Amino acid sequence: MLTDMLLLLPTTLIDGLVLGLIYASIALGYTMVYGVLGLINFAHSEVFMVGAIVAIEVLIYGLAGTGLHPLIQLVVAIAVGGLAAGFLAVAIERVAYRPLRVRNAPRLVPLITTIGVSLFLQDSVRFVESLFGQFIRPFPSFPFFNRQIVLSETVFISNRTLAIIVLAVTLLAGLYYMVHRTRLGKAMRAVALDQKTSQLMGINVNKVIATTFFIGGVAGGVAGVLYALQFGRMDPFSGFIPGIKAFTAAVLGGIGSVEGAVLGGVLLGILEVVLGTYIPMWTNNAIGTEYKDIIAFSILILILIFRPNGLVGRAYAEKV
Amino acid sequence: MSGWHPSTMRSVALLAYAGVFACLKIWVFTGSSLIDTCIFMAVLASIFFATTDNVAPWASRTVLAAILLFVLPVVGLANTFYLDVTTQVAIYAVLALGLNIVVGLAGLLDLGFIAFFALGAYLWAILGSTQASMFLPGSFPLPAEAFFLVLPIGVGVAALAGILLGLPVLRLRGDYLAIVTLGFGEMVRILANNLDKPVNITNGPQGIAGIAQPLNGLAIALATDAVPEYKWQALIYYFFVLCLIGCAILVNRRLDASRIGRAWVAIREDEIAAQAMGIPLVATKLIAFATGAAMAGGVGVLFAAKQTYVSPESFDFNQSIAVLAMIVLGGLGSIRGAVLGAAAVTLLNLQVLKVLSAWLNTMRADGVEFLGFSFANLPAQFEPSKYERLIFGIILIIMMLYRPQGLVPAKRKNIGIDVDSSTGKPGNQA
Amino acid sequence: MTPLLTITGLSKRFGGLVAVHDVTFDVKEREIASVIGPNGAGKTTFFNLLTGIFRADAGEIRFRGRNLLGLRPDQIAAAGVARTFQNIRLFGAMTTLENVLVGQHANIATSYLDALLRNRAFLQRERAAIERGRFLLDYVQLGSKAAEIAHNLSYGEQRKLEIARALAANPALVLLDEPSAGMNPRETGEMRDLIHRIRDELGISVVLIEHDMPLVMSVSDRVIVLDHGEKLCEGLPAEIRSNPRVVEAYLGRSVAAKLAKAHDALVEVTQ
Repeated sequence: MLTDMLLLLPTTLIDGLVLGLIYASIALGYTMVYGVLGLINFAHSEVFMVGAIVAIEVLIYGLAGTGLHPLIQLVVAIAVGGLAAGFLAVAIERVAYRPLRVRNAPRLVPLITTIGVSLFLQDSVRFVESLFGQFIRPFPSFPFFNRQIVLSETVFISNRTLAIIVLAVTLLAGLYYMVHRTRLGKAMRAVALDQKTSQLMGINVNKVIATTFFIGGVAGGVAGVLYALQFGRMDPFSGFIPGIKAFTAAVLGGIGSVEGAVLGGVLLGILEVVLGTYIPMWTNNAIGTEYKDIIAFSILILILIFRPNGLVGRAYAEKV
Repeated sequence: MSGWHPSTMRSVALLAYAGVFACLKIWVFTGSSLIDTCIFMAVLASIFFATTDNVAPWASRTVLAAILLFVLPVVGLANTFYLDVTTQVAIYAVLALGLNIVVGLAGLLDLGFIAFFALGAYLWAILGSTQASMFLPGSFPLPAEAFFLVLPIGVGVAALAGILLGLPVLRLRGDYLAIVTLGFGEMVRILANNLDKPVNITNGPQGIAGIAQPLNGLAIALATDAVPEYKWQALIYYFFVLCLIGCAILVNRRLDASRIGRAWVAIREDEIAAQAMGIPLVATKLIAFATGAAMAGGVGVLFAAKQTYVSPESFDFNQSIAVLAMIVLGGLGSIRGAVLGAAAVTLLNLQVLKVLSAWLNTMRADGVEFLGFSFANLPAQFEPSKYERLIFGIILIIMMLYRPQGLVPAKRKNIGIDVDSSTGKPGNQA
Repeated sequence: MTPLLTITGLSKRFGGLVAVHDVTFDVKEREIASVIGPNGAGKTTFFNLLTGIFRADAGEIRFRGRNLLGLRPDQIAAAGVARTFQNIRLFGAMTTLENVLVGQHANIATSYLDALLRNRAFLQRERAAIERGRFLLDYVQLGSKAAEIAHNLSYGEQRKLEIARALAANPALVLLDEPSAGMNPRETGEMRDLIHRIRDELGISVVLIEHDMPLVMSVSDRVIVLDHGEKLCEGLPAEIRSNPRVVEAYLGRSVAAKLAKAHDALVEVTQ
């Protein structure tokens, strides 16, 4: 059995890394919005889902039969899906959150609103998709992505995996650069620290917040496309669980920090896949893969107990 | 008439309203069509009107007693559909009252509240059926009357679970609680779904059937040709749940009017100021968490008995959200609001969506055309009864944006006790 | 007489910022002490350390011989130190009377079971609490507003209610954070009387943070000056008023020097 495990290890780790990078990309949206507004945006998981569904529709109705290279098709679909998700996130902020911010509602109010938006979007997308038949959308199959690159006798890597890793790393690096090296990033960090003072310093707070939602939304949408590519399908309700796990990743890394989201995402992805693969083997399937969600939630609870500021996070102090 | 006090006028109007609709329901609209259901709702509404502040206590008590103890049982025995609906509404109302303490009073957003309900339900489901013999020594099912022992145990188990979950997470920033409770709710559901191996505890996705019904002997004894056993059983559950909802309201009111309730609201309003005034945060929040959980656990036990069948499906995230939507709709912190919200959401979910679904299905089957659109082309997946999330979502968004205090806002009474006249009567002179 | 409160070497830093550094002083029974200093001098941080909202890095806080350091805010409140907040933090949705009842939380012995059973012990204690609450509201001239929702009170009334709420905790020491902020001269005068009455009639020691110098000078037995988190000096109001270091701290060295020159010039001219 030990040799079986060793044989499986490289693939397991690679799968974990892929999942982790996707979690990290989703987590960015949570962590940026939480960093700036102190709000858990429950609707972010639906932004992720919409990105994927739009991309799938683009591939099916826009690009099928064009004969373009699958990679180009994928990049176009990602661009459209990501933009759609970004604009959706901005629209949500404008319609549902900004009015509450303006009237300075108690904390609970925007939080409940984000849950409402999340549920509303799930069923709205279901409604629209059911008008065209199945609301569970399979990702169009491209033989290209299934092709394996042989690394060694036992280790293969598919074009799909490689594409996901490259795209996700590019996205994450781009965002890291944006938050840490640009004026916009500086403005975002200023708004996160103190909205009123930022406004006095000439920062357009509403615009910075909208931009934060846009960037987080784009990242979430792109992550959605990659997720659909990896798992072969997307439906209106499939955003929810990855969303919660990505939030867990953000908390694990340290909420409010981009590096933290990446670290937490990769760690959670690898833990989930490794434990989800090996625990059933160790226990002879007495504890099956279904428990992987329980593992993720247990990790969340444990971090919150022992390291509530995450692995690289700073402490938040309320002004008294 | 001009000499009458306005409150007397209102009381007479209430009596007249309740009397007219009760008679209509008992003798005229006895069926279960749409109009019959509407009349039934009008009867239920008299309970709501009877509990407003501005009717005289005698009128309010008369109407409540007459409707709850006479009209509803009579209507229900004639047509058990109504007893089932009322019991269902009341079960959710108890859940809403429990969550009202946690979210409405203490301001702690619990998104996995249904998990405590599941604990209570599975407790009786396992012990009250043959399921327990899969992993416990002894003879199962327990006799149906053990229900009365298991009910308080269910309350205790749920409260304990609330404390165990709350202890680590209630120290954290409030919004983390939302996500942790959500995770907890999912964990309980996943466990219920998968604990059929290695040891079969919950029977997995198939769920547990054949759960013992308490006081079944009484129902059998009362059975006649005109009123068979199942109707009496439904009536028994109706009275059970009436007792539970009474307890839940009492607990809500009394705690709310004590230092504990004041501490909850203080924490909701301003945690730092509350702590600086001598309120221990974690302990006070734990009490709220455990009290809410206990109510859910208790009513869960009853739910399992009434349904005689439980499965993980009844305890998913949607159910937690449904209960949240109820109290948000009714008004956070408001007891009447919680009950009204429970009634509205349950009826909407149970009745309106189903009726709409059935209606669309007949239109599709008949191939009706409307403005050039043929219903026959309607995709099979398009079923309104499945759109509960849409409804919850809309309720949550609209209420939070436009009426965050809910339909029946909570009123901060001056105080629960009148100091000046020591009659012990609740004083509400503002 | 042993002091009520003894603070020794109290320090707190936030990252690189030293908010409070090595502050030592004490408060006697039935004393009114004021803490003054320019904005950002660490006054409010100092209150937050005393009430356990922040945890001090070093130093000691002894209150009636008991070490308060490391206790939670609610424990410190129960031990007899109550406070108000600079940016009013009332329980906005509750009535005025309820706010004062919350202040009595630690002193009402009602248990969970008592509350559920609504037994005689519960009713008795509740009545006593309400009576005391009414008394305190009358004490700060809010008696007629008992049923008002706190959120709807005027600014000055909210400040008074905060004080009544703090007094409700039955403290031996109250910390008032800028009680006269935003008040007009008449209201400030009332506040001065109230602070005196708290000490004289209720026998409670008062420490206040205040920017209104006439109020500070007329009400305090002793004044402590903080600057950049350190204690600059301490003394009788008259001593503080004439202390050049205090003027410097408030206005900056150069302005203070110019002011002194101008003063001298003025003296020369008038002579």
